Amino acid sequence: MLRPRIIPCLLVHKGGLVKTQGFKSPKYVGDPINAVKIFNEKEADELIVLDIDAAVTGAEPDYALIAKLAAECRMPLCYGGGIRNAEQASRIVDLGVEKVSVSSAAIDDPELLTRMAEAVGRQSVVAVIDVRKRSGLFAKGYEVCTHNAGKVLRLEVLALAQTLQQAGAGEIVLNSVDRDGQMKGYDLELARQALPLLKVPLTLLGGAGSLADMGQLIEACGTVGAAAGSLFVFKGPYRAVLINYPSAVQKDELFAKCLPAGGRPKAH
Amino acid sequence: MIRVVDYGVGNIQAFLNMFKRLDLPAERARTPQDLMDAKHLILPGVGAFDTAMRKLNDSGLRQPLEHLVLQQQVPVLGVCVGMQMLASGSDEGVLPGLNWIPGRVHAFADQPASASLPMPHMGWNDLQVQDDHPLFRDFGPAPRFYFLHSFYFQCENRQHAVATAHYGVDIDCVVSNHHVHGVQCHPEKSHHFGAQLLKNFATH
Amino acid sequence: MSLDHKICNHCIMDNSDPNIVFDDRGRCDYCNNFERLIQPNWHTDARGQAALQQMAETIRADGKGKDFDCVIGLSGGLDSSFAAYVAKEKMGLRPLLFHVDAGWNTDQAVGNIEKLVDGLGLDLYTEVVNWQAVKRMQVAFLRAGIPDQDLVQDAAFFSGLYKFAREYKVKHIITGSNFSTECCREPEEWGGYLGIDKTLFGDIWKQHGDGRPNDEFPLVDILVYKIWYQKVLGMKVHHPLNLLPYVKKDVEDELERRFGWQRFRHKHHESRFTRFYEDYWLPRRFGYHKRRAHFSSLILTGQMARDQALERIAKPEMDEHFLRQEFEYVAHKLDLSVAELQQLFDQPKRTYRDFRNKRDLIGFGANLLRKLGLERRYFR
Repeated sequence: MLRPRIIPCLLVHKGGLVKTQGFKSPKYVGDPINAVKIFNEKEADELIVLDIDAAVTGAEPDYALIAKLAAECRMPLCYGGGIRNAEQASRIVDLGVEKVSVSSAAIDDPELLTRMAEAVGRQSVVAVIDVRKRSGLFAKGYEVCTHNAGKVLRLEVLALAQTLQQAGAGEIVLNSVDRDGQMKGYDLELARQALPLLKVPLTLLGGAGSLADMGQLIEACGTVGAAAGSLFVFKGPYRAVLINYPSAVQKDELFAKCLPAGGRPKAH
Repeated sequence: MIRVVDYGVGNIQAFLNMFKRLDLPAERARTPQDLMDAKHLILPGVGAFDTAMRKLNDSGLRQPLEHLVLQQQVPVLGVCVGMQMLASGSDEGVLPGLNWIPGRVHAFADQPASASLPMPHMGWNDLQVQDDHPLFRDFGPAPRFYFLHSFYFQCENRQHAVATAHYGVDIDCVVSNHHVHGVQCHPEKSHHFGAQLLKNFATH
Repeated sequence: MSLDHKICNHCIMDNSDPNIVFDDRGRCDYCNNFERLIQPNWHTDARGQAALQQMAETIRADGKGKDFDCVIGLSGGLDSSFAAYVAKEKMGLRPLLFHVDAGWNTDQAVGNIEKLVDGLGLDLYTEVVNWQAVKRMQVAFLRAGIPDQDLVQDAAFFSGLYKFAREYKVKHIITGSNFSTECCREPEEWGGYLGIDKTLFGDIWKQHGDGRPNDEFPLVDILVYKIWYQKVLGMKVHHPLNLLPYVKKDVEDELERRFGWQRFRHKHHESRFTRFYEDYWLPRRFGYHKRRAHFSSLILTGQMARDQALERIAKPEMDEHFLRQEFEYVAHKLDLSVAELQQLFDQPKRTYRDFRNKRDLIGFGANLLRKLGLERRYFR
């Protein structure tokens, strides 16, 4: 049976790994290659690595770093950050990376996803949407952000997700800005709303504070991607940097508990 | 020498990295000359079936490959779309496959049991291994591998199906016809499971 | 082995330590030092118990009302892991576990730290050193060609603890330093330069650095540190592992049983660089085998037979294939090609004396430094 994917998400800033809160205050967490090596040894399901500078600065992807990360990974790697055209995507995939993710560039121009899908195949194209709950007295629903939550766009999240899926994304990642670094649980409401609208695999990112939080997401959505940053990088009240990942046994127990036979969500 | 066929499609580097870790000599093969010392062949592939077949046909490697595999019986392992290329043809495209393992590639989307599932089939899935097969030597009880595909293989001859997986429908995910083998999943990205399978292939 | 090779007939220390002295029984000064100075003062029975409880009471009293009463530097290795266990379970203390990540953690070390944090229910604080800074300094040290390559990690650990101790006004530090596995000290000649010497670092950086400043590299000079420690009254460093029985195998078994802690093949293997440095670089480039000292300690404390030690030292801990891959890993991690690292391996050997240093000044206070257990290798 297909299992839910438990995915560490690493952010790269000036060549080093960082972790943010609400997409702000990056805290230095260490060397990306060492972290990838440890996740590899812990046999993580797959890995997401995002360059949070590139989108804002417009720099080229750091191909040297990507090659080194790919060489370490014996699991699928998804790389993103500042990718603007299909040539960059091709080049990254050639370095040994399974999937390439785009966010602001695809939101601006969904045809980019079509071109990327043509170049590397739809299964290797991931669209990431940064999402924030609307604020204000009578506000309802979510707003879309880009550029490390620096810009807000007048777009409806779920409609956007469908558009990007249509255009060529083989996976949609919904990244909750509010919950980033809070470790208080995923936005299950968002997940529940998005799931029936999508034909491609869905991954949630932002808020996971424990395996139990992932369990809740799996109970709500079935076989889904559960991505996390802080959870796999910090430990304890001092937010001590310590790379961790559930063992195979812990994952088996979690899935047995939260996933009914067949992989469909439990009734809620 | 293990030769990973580089015809312009697929993650060659990942295979080279994996074999390096296993301390087994492996190189990419871009030209017919490169293929001459091949004792084992890996045929990778990602993306669309027709694109991969066209690139293989245009690469100048198809004839030497056929000679090596069909005449000289050099073992070959097709991976992902590389495995699909071993079939007679695919519902995804119009070009014929290599037909080294009789069978057809179908779309999950065309089967009622899998049509409503998220596509592509993405993630770690369990394998049901049919019988003792050298590819699964030294495997523990619950092998699983990483899958990433929207089309799947169905062997004509059930004897060729070594392992199946389930995603709405049962798919033949490891196939074998004498020295021609195929895996739908990605052994180069499946941790120790993949390493063991590649090791078994290359040392068989 | 050449005819000039002289080895102790009790332990396995030999004249690759240029300062070794043999008596007329063929015993070395490490053995004699152990017999005469260490053993008579090493009590793990009721006397040790009493001293341990005394230590615990003092620390507990000083820590009343605070979030933690002592700090333990934790590397994930055996000694610091046992120290954490003893502090919590045998001494009833509330330690804060302190870990410095200098970029070379093995997965096993990280896993062990996690298991101890969870298993003992203690809090963890980590100091992550800027990798680019560590990398650039390490490359400069390799270019300098001296045997003391682990000074870079030592500086990172040392400075990390200093920074933390200052900020949180720490009064008590517990280290895993112990006689059981360390009574035979690693000779200084084998790359064990004593203390963090800003003069030495400065000159190495000037001559072999990449030309730009390396301000992000944490560097607290040992002399400044010592003065500060003296200024901060009541700052104490404790070595509880000498006050109770410490049989290596039994401790490894107990940690494994209680926490799923995984034992290492050998000392210092919790750092990938140190493992590479001690198993490959130091022996093959310089002919120094730190394992001689480690095994000799175990021989002196009755935990290893001499012929067993001789058999093990005859070959490296890790096999050739592994060492080749580690060579490549270390090169690439330092942004060097394998050929470049090989060049550094093959270049003429130098010592710290080829650079400006204040070794003599530091040596004056060396005993104090050892007592403070401030070298990273005392954080087990």
